[in-house]
Amino acid sequence: MLKYILKRTAYIVVIFLLLTFLMYALYNLIPADPARAEVEPLRGSMKPDEFERIYQQTRYEMGLDDPILVRYARWMGFIANRQGKYNGLLQGNMGYSSFFKKPVVDVIPEPMKFTVSLNIFVTLLALGITIPLGIQSAVKKDSLLDRTVQVVSVVGYSIPIQIVGLVFIFIFAVLLRWFPVMGMKTPGSNYTGWKAFTDFVYHISLPVLVLTFSSLGSMTRYVRAAMIDALSMDYIRTARAKGVREKVVIYSHAFRNALLPVITIIIGWFLGVFGGSIITESTFSLNGMGRLSIQSLNNKDYELALAIQLFYVAVALFGRLLIDLSYGLVDPRVRINK
Amino acid sequence: MKKLVALLMAGLMLLNVVGVMAEPAVGGEIIYASGTEISGDWAHGAIWTNNATDNMIRSLINDYGTISYNQGGAMVQNASVTESVESVVNEDGTKTFTIKIHEDLVFNDGSPISAKHFIASSLLFSHPTLLGMGSKSSAYVYYVGGEAYKNNGLVMPELAKAPEGETEEQKAAREEANKKIEEDFKAAVTASVAEGNAKWSGLRLLDEYTFQVTIVAKYIPYYYDISYASFGPMSIDMWLGEGYDVKDDGEGAYIVGDMTAETLAPKIEHARFVTEGRITAGPYNLVSYDVGAKQAVLEINPNYKGNFEGQKPHVQKIIIVKAEKATQFDALETGSIELISGLTGGEEVNKALDLVAKGGFATVDFERNGYGKIQFACDFGPTQFKNVRHALAHLLDRPEFATTFTGGYGALVHGPYGLAMWMYKDSEEELNEKLNTYPYDPAKAVELLEEAGFVLDAEGNDYVEGLRYKKVTAEEAGKYEHNVTLADGTVLMPAIIEWSATPDNPVSELLVTMLQKNPDLVAAGLEIRQSVMDFSQLLNWLYRDSSQGDQYGVPKYGMFNLASNFYPIYDRSFSFTSDPEKVAAGWNTNFLFDEQLDKLTMDMVYGVESDNPEGYRKLWVDYIDRWNELLPDLPLYSNVYYTIFADKLKGYEESSLWGFDSAIVYAWVEE
Repeated sequence: MLKYILKRTAYIVVIFLLLTFLMYALYNLIPADPARAEVEPLRGSMKPDEFERIYQQTRYEMGLDDPILVRYARWMGFIANRQGKYNGLLQGNMGYSSFFKKPVVDVIPEPMKFTVSLNIFVTLLALGITIPLGIQSAVKKDSLLDRTVQVVSVVGYSIPIQIVGLVFIFIFAVLLRWFPVMGMKTPGSNYTGWKAFTDFVYHISLPVLVLTFSSLGSMTRYVRAAMIDALSMDYIRTARAKGVREKVVIYSHAFRNALLPVITIIIGWFLGVFGGSIITESTFSLNGMGRLSIQSLNNKDYELALAIQLFYVAVALFGRLLIDLSYGLVDPRVRINK
Repeated sequence: MKKLVALLMAGLMLLNVVGVMAEPAVGGEIIYASGTEISGDWAHGAIWTNNATDNMIRSLINDYGTISYNQGGAMVQNASVTESVESVVNEDGTKTFTIKIHEDLVFNDGSPISAKHFIASSLLFSHPTLLGMGSKSSAYVYYVGGEAYKNNGLVMPELAKAPEGETEEQKAAREEANKKIEEDFKAAVTASVAEGNAKWSGLRLLDEYTFQVTIVAKYIPYYYDISYASFGPMSIDMWLGEGYDVKDDGEGAYIVGDMTAETLAPKIEHARFVTEGRITAGPYNLVSYDVGAKQAVLEINPNYKGNFEGQKPHVQKIIIVKAEKATQFDALETGSIELISGLTGGEEVNKALDLVAKGGFATVDFERNGYGKIQFACDFGPTQFKNVRHALAHLLDRPEFATTFTGGYGALVHGPYGLAMWMYKDSEEELNEKLNTYPYDPAKAVELLEEAGFVLDAEGNDYVEGLRYKKVTAEEAGKYEHNVTLADGTVLMPAIIEWSATPDNPVSELLVTMLQKNPDLVAAGLEIRQSVMDFSQLLNWLYRDSSQGDQYGVPKYGMFNLASNFYPIYDRSFSFTSDPEKVAAGWNTNFLFDEQLDKLTMDMVYGVESDNPEGYRKLWVDYIDRWNELLPDLPLYSNVYYTIFADKLKGYEESSLWGFDSAIVYAWVEE
């Protein structure tokens, strides 16, 4: 097992390094001049000579006159920067946000904290609903309940999340006034402790409902399909023939086996807590990773965009390893040693 | 008599009571919906970031400038701050402003403000250490001794100049050598800072409440020279801390204290982003900024003396939140936000007016100080010919375009001006007489094309139908990709105009319908070919920036759809320069080389003294007239903006020259 983990980790490092170069090169191939974008708003208030000096200085500071390989090596921390220091990705420096004018590592924590909190709520709520619903739907296959769940889950699965968001806002925020339309806290409030927590929960309730509603369909159908397979197995028939109680048959025999294919999806969901929802976070004006990602692209804040994407690359690579390992842990038939 | 006196006294008392009642109470709050993200960088004078909401917050917390902009966008002496602003032109052509400030000014923490706080900002942000840290300050350019100050008193060695007939190899070697000299010099300046700070001879502290600044001769005369006397106070304690001060021993002002990058960097980082206890001097204090929720809260600064008119704010609290376009009206209706500024276009404005009709909301509207436009490249292809530009103008029904695009909430201009500008207001009649409005007239367009020589077909025969061609000289032909060379060597230029447009742009979409696919345009013998591209690419083509790829260096697109906004300082100098270096640096993106137009843009600001607004206005009218004749851009629309707010807010009057940060100081809340 250890050998397998080390081998996979080595692959991950190589793939990650390759991807850093590819992605860095891609962003640098964009035919845009970041120095010009940075100083252009000053043109109207400056004389040509001073504008040119500031433009050239900005190009110099951004290292735009150096070849791409030099810039990449500096960005990674393989070679020293202009100040003679090794200060790149390898040293924990994820770059500099041209929009926020501060290091990327100082920009990401707050949105990341929010996105993780939001997604934990959504994941727990969604699992709490979909697993029992999927089980009941499978146990009562072709019943009215099953058909209703099937239809509702397909509908929920098919409607774009922005439509769900706008409809929910109209119903729950505008008509019923149960929740606020947007924001993460009551404007101007300075709550602390429990009051701050309840205020936060009140503000994220509607986005949580939207994200949960949109994720119900797929998981319910996964659980239902896995349960139907499990319930058709011989050992279930044997258990029933032995006179084991139906609840025990369903939850102890069938569900534990049905969980095997579902568990990897659940782990995937938990890994997904780092990934923000671009649409929902933007619709509700939430300062999360999804909105930050799209903003970094819109603002042409490429070092920030690159850092966010590389973070997700790392999460995906290690997440895949985790999923593979979890297979071996939950299913004794799978042996991970190669 | 006694009765009469008593009656008069009673009347006066009543008037007094009424007066007291008329003064709005201080209190209430307003939630401002911001369209752009707050970055949390509160650095003085937008040294690092430049986004709109950051700027607005900076203006709300910093307002003790010696010079202010009034409601009409004109610069006025801030009487709340200055006792006097006097100027004198010196024998050497420099100009000196002597500014005496009031002695009762204090920062929001109650600490006194003196003259040194007004020049501290220039001294700090033009210091070589700060310039090396990314400061975009350019104050050192304008004030005598600034260059020396920027280099901490060292003299930059002369760089090698290009000799005649220099080869590419020699050029590369020379540039490399110059680069080395510059880098060595930069290192020497950095090292010298450890030994002490230079003095700035053009910035002087005369006494505790008087300071003097001297402008370098080459920037005098300048119509807006009063802007050079514009200084705001900066807390030395907050930015630099203990052990730092600003002094003047008679040779110029300087900073006392360790200004090396190692010492300064953490101080500056802290001062840029600190919220709690931020020392400023404006109508509001920044009370809190929630980085997670992106909310800023501002409250009235009790130590604020008033703006240039002595006006103090009455709205106790301003909360600034980020809103999204898709849900902003729902948020407004349900009270999550209370004011959205700068709505435009039929859809948004109609939604706002619907809310007003429902009750609980009010609006103000104002004209944009700028316009959407088609920008022409005037040095190659068909758009190099004035008549072609005129013909295009006659082939677009611009009033209809403006009405359709703005949903009826817009206006049309015929030159580079905004309807709110004082120059326009004072010259409206004159401009109405002089300016060509280019009405929709396909027949006139054909006449203009024929007059320009577009009278041939692709074989060089007389034009009958289809695309028009013109016989051009080698100079006119340039490298235009669509030129046709006949067997006899004659070069024909077709009336094909390449158009660079950005994706998902409603202006482009409407231009396709109303111009590109206009049957009258096709019948006139013109063709417009649209290329949709990312905005960065559009800029590369516009600037002909070959550093981004060789292809951009070759002119290709004759028209671009863009927009222009004007600053209160209407300075168009160098916009039509012929200097190749400035043109290459993006100072004449129309590539229109007209001596008269260039001269007017320069004379308008550098040929008129600041006390001669009439002289400025006359040159401005001449400039607009000449511009209208040459038509480097085709103005398409000038929006009418709406600001909607909860009707508890009273006395709120906004304009394109008088934004939220200024207007809110005059408003109050009635719950």
